[in-house]
Amino acid sequence: MQWKDVSQKEVLRYLGYGRQEADEAVKNLVSECIGEILNQCHCKHVYKRFHCTIEQHSIMFENVVIESKNLSKNLSECEQMILFAATLGPQPDILLKKYSRLDMSKAVVMQAAAAAIIEEYCDQCQKQIEKELEQEQLYLRPRFSPGYGDFQLKHQKDMILLLDCPRKIGLTLTDSLLLAPSKSVTAVMGISKKNKHCHIKGCEACENRNCTFRRDG
Amino acid sequence: MSILELLGKRMIFFDGGTGTLLQEKGLKAGELPEIWNIENKQALIEIHKNYFEAGSDIVLTNTFGANRIKLHDIPYTIEEIITAAVKNAKTASEEAHCEQKGYVALDIGPTGKLLQPLGDLSFEDAYSAFQEMAVAGEKAGADCIVIETMSDIYEAKAAVLAAKENTKLPVFVTIVFDEKGKLLTGSDIASAVTILEGLGVDALGMNCGLGPHQMLALAEEVLQNCSIPVIIKPNAGLPRNENGKTVFDVLPKEFALAMEKIVDKGAWMVGGCCGTTPGHIKALYEQCKNKKPLPIVPKNKTMIASYTHAVEIGKAPIIIGERINPTGKTRFKQALREKDLDYILREGFAQQQKGAHVLDVNVGLPDIDETEMLVHVMKELQSVIDLPLQIDTSNTEAMEKALRLYNGKAMINSVNGKQESMQAIFPLVKKYGGVVVGLTLDEEGIPPTAEGRFLVAEKIVNTAESYGILRKDIVIDVLAMTISSDQQSALETLKALQLVKQKLHVKTILGVSNISFGLPQRETITANFYTMAMQNGLDAGIINPNADSMMRSYYAYRALAGLDENCMDYIQHYGGQSETTVSATSNSDISLGTAIEKGLKERAKQAAEEKLQNTEPLTIINEELIPALDHVGKGFEKGSIFLPQLLMSAEAAKAAFEAIKVHMGKQGSVQTKKDKIILATVKGDIHDIGKNIVKVLLENYSYDVVDLGKDVPPESIVETALSQNINLVGLSALMTTTVTSMEETIRQLKKQKPDCKIVVGGAVLTQEYADMIGADHYAKDAMATVYYAQQILG
Ligand code: SF4
Repeated sequence: MQWKDVSQKEVLRYLGYGRQEADEAVKNLVSECIGEILNQCHCKHVYKRFHCTIEQHSIMFENVVIESKNLSKNLSECEQMILFAATLGPQPDILLKKYSRLDMSKAVVMQAAAAAIIEEYCDQCQKQIEKELEQEQLYLRPRFSPGYGDFQLKHQKDMILLLDCPRKIGLTLTDSLLLAPSKSVTAVMGISKKNKHCHIKGCEACENRNCTFRRDG
Repeated sequence: MSILELLGKRMIFFDGGTGTLLQEKGLKAGELPEIWNIENKQALIEIHKNYFEAGSDIVLTNTFGANRIKLHDIPYTIEEIITAAVKNAKTASEEAHCEQKGYVALDIGPTGKLLQPLGDLSFEDAYSAFQEMAVAGEKAGADCIVIETMSDIYEAKAAVLAAKENTKLPVFVTIVFDEKGKLLTGSDIASAVTILEGLGVDALGMNCGLGPHQMLALAEEVLQNCSIPVIIKPNAGLPRNENGKTVFDVLPKEFALAMEKIVDKGAWMVGGCCGTTPGHIKALYEQCKNKKPLPIVPKNKTMIASYTHAVEIGKAPIIIGERINPTGKTRFKQALREKDLDYILREGFAQQQKGAHVLDVNVGLPDIDETEMLVHVMKELQSVIDLPLQIDTSNTEAMEKALRLYNGKAMINSVNGKQESMQAIFPLVKKYGGVVVGLTLDEEGIPPTAEGRFLVAEKIVNTAESYGILRKDIVIDVLAMTISSDQQSALETLKALQLVKQKLHVKTILGVSNISFGLPQRETITANFYTMAMQNGLDAGIINPNADSMMRSYYAYRALAGLDENCMDYIQHYGGQSETTVSATSNSDISLGTAIEKGLKERAKQAAEEKLQNTEPLTIINEELIPALDHVGKGFEKGSIFLPQLLMSAEAAKAAFEAIKVHMGKQGSVQTKKDKIILATVKGDIHDIGKNIVKVLLENYSYDVVDLGKDVPPESIVETALSQNINLVGLSALMTTTVTSMEETIRQLKKQKPDCKIVVGGAVLTQEYADMIGADHYAKDAMATVYYAQQILG
């Protein structure tokens, strides 16, 4: 991950700035925070391919059954899928903790910057996986994380276990199913034979209104 | 022969990976390999046997994740699994066709959860999970314990203590460094080695993460820092993804050749990790079996460490910040009594920024529970500041608890020449590791002469050695006493410094500031004495880094003593500054109100200080501070001001408040706070940024916030509300999963303290949700909580 990959605008958007211009001080703070996080964080990801069967509203792979209308619609016609997990490591959490004691304004900007960075990192990983799949003429559906729609959060457990996340990338789960480190993502992505030119930011951002795989029901 | 007796006599070989081998035998993704110890034992016996026959002296039991945190809802107990696993390895050792005895190591891997404060696992819970494993392993007949693949040094510490306190087995530890030589949680090599050696492990090293080529340079660094046997167990190269599967590329021959280089650098114990097979170990064994282990050269360095980095005492003088100490500081005492941790953290942070290398931590006050406070302050400091700490207390119980929970190798302040003191402190130093400060006083008091103090120092060093504490882990304080009562005292102290350095070969430390007690313009005397002390061999000065004259002495001494190459540090600090520092800045005409609205922290503080000279504190608060905050708050509500600016203003206001507080403290008056409000992130939720935002704003409006932190059980919220009779509680939840514990908290509060109002907020909450779970109010953002507080409490 490089500094230039992270969009300042995106960070400002997380902070609530819409069309409004942020003042210099805030903009500087944004750059400072992006720099500080990138300097210290260790981005890591892991993914695995699984064969899956989709029936009605269930998705089945390995020993796991996921009941989700949204996800099964999004994965329909997929025979394989990818389990994916990524994390920025514990450093952003350490920075956040530090600044929320010393300088709260910096902490909130840090929070937004870290959120933008993990999203960007996932996008980059996803593009790399897409490239690999293209050689087999296979295409990715957008990533879908536990906790979105009716994809239950309890499946974090399956994701973490199947990907051996604690050992591979240092990503763990708390008793209440929160990811720790917090700047982390787990997701499912369908592997499709049809190239629908999915939007990297997911169906919500996609122009393809009539798509049958659209996840919002 | 025990495994420890064998060390150094010849090369010792570990086994290689088991994961891929088990997969080949049919283990599925997500299936628990530990269950196979019982349900598929033949597979494991075979794998272990293959390793013994390939040349392994030690195989690791298949118990990497056999801890109660990872394994639950299974039909076996941890003890059953571990007993079976040890038995499998022992059977393999008996069945294998080998000349040498095969040793069985109980394998302890990480719990799979992150320890607090990064995750939700407590140090104590991690400890007891490891304890259960270690006890079962010893009972089943393991020859030693290998704690491996640790990526958090704090978790490794919990495991080492569990192994050492509950078994007699040798303990080996290997940790996972990345290519830059850092652990996942940020420790560098020197700090990890310092901490583990301090804990008294029998050998240490690294495994996993990297291949043998990448490990070479890191192994060298480990060897350079280490005075005990070193273990190196790389993967078979860097993992590569092939069709969504992990593969490793380094083949046995290449692996063995690369490992030979590491052995030639001085590693005593070698083996493999992920992707390595009996083939790799056989090649390694053939390549290195006839090598003679290089002798270990003890590194005579006095080292302390935080969880991120180590600090050496004795190379060049270091600075220990003295400001976290209530003695003679009204404001600090107030902060301790009010549990105002933020104040203490800022004191720590300021010293770090001024150049302190270590922070002394003393929170002793007659009317507080020192053990609890010390541990609390230490944990909070460690989560914000990465400097090593010097634990400063005369309360042995507090010292032990702090050392146990400290994430690093601490300085221990202090022991003295009294038998009682040495008997209490030295066992702690030995057990937890640490560099202990020895004060040259004993039952007879402080000897007046340098020779007398030297003799006490000698007694301390000799006694420490009888406890197995190395001389390098002792620093002697020959005590500086004010020259205002005895004009010879500085000279005696300097002479004593020289004596202990030259004759005892130990490092030295001094509380420098005492020297000027009772004199005017103390800094002048103190700073000059500081220079003299460094010239006479002072290694660590306990000083006030915020005092400019002290830092000038420090940087000047280093430059003059040839310790500052090209005078770089000196120039960096004082270059580009004119002789007399100009304090007037361009924004000196900005009013307090404007400074707050613009979020100018420094200026807000300055402006408040100026105003205080001729205005009543309360007038400043009501006529400048609050209106400015209100103005910003309104802007935030309208959408013309955003969260970062709102908080910048809040921080600026806080700085102004702090100036007012200090002023009032000096005058002996205490600022009256408004009513108390409890804030907490509910049980299960470990992220608390939203709550902290609200806290900053509420404090701006003078509310007395009782911050219970994060992951707070309903019971403690109810208990606090009842015992302190608090009528407003703010709860925050981040995830849908934790809204249920919010609901539970509300239910209990409503039942036991019906007059208490509850305001809720957080990412997943909505008005409807808040109504559903019975909250009195939903705050859509931080300002909304302030308005609600004003409405309820005034
Ligand atoms: S809506 Fe767009 S992003 Fe979603 S599945 Fe269809 S094409 Fe892909």
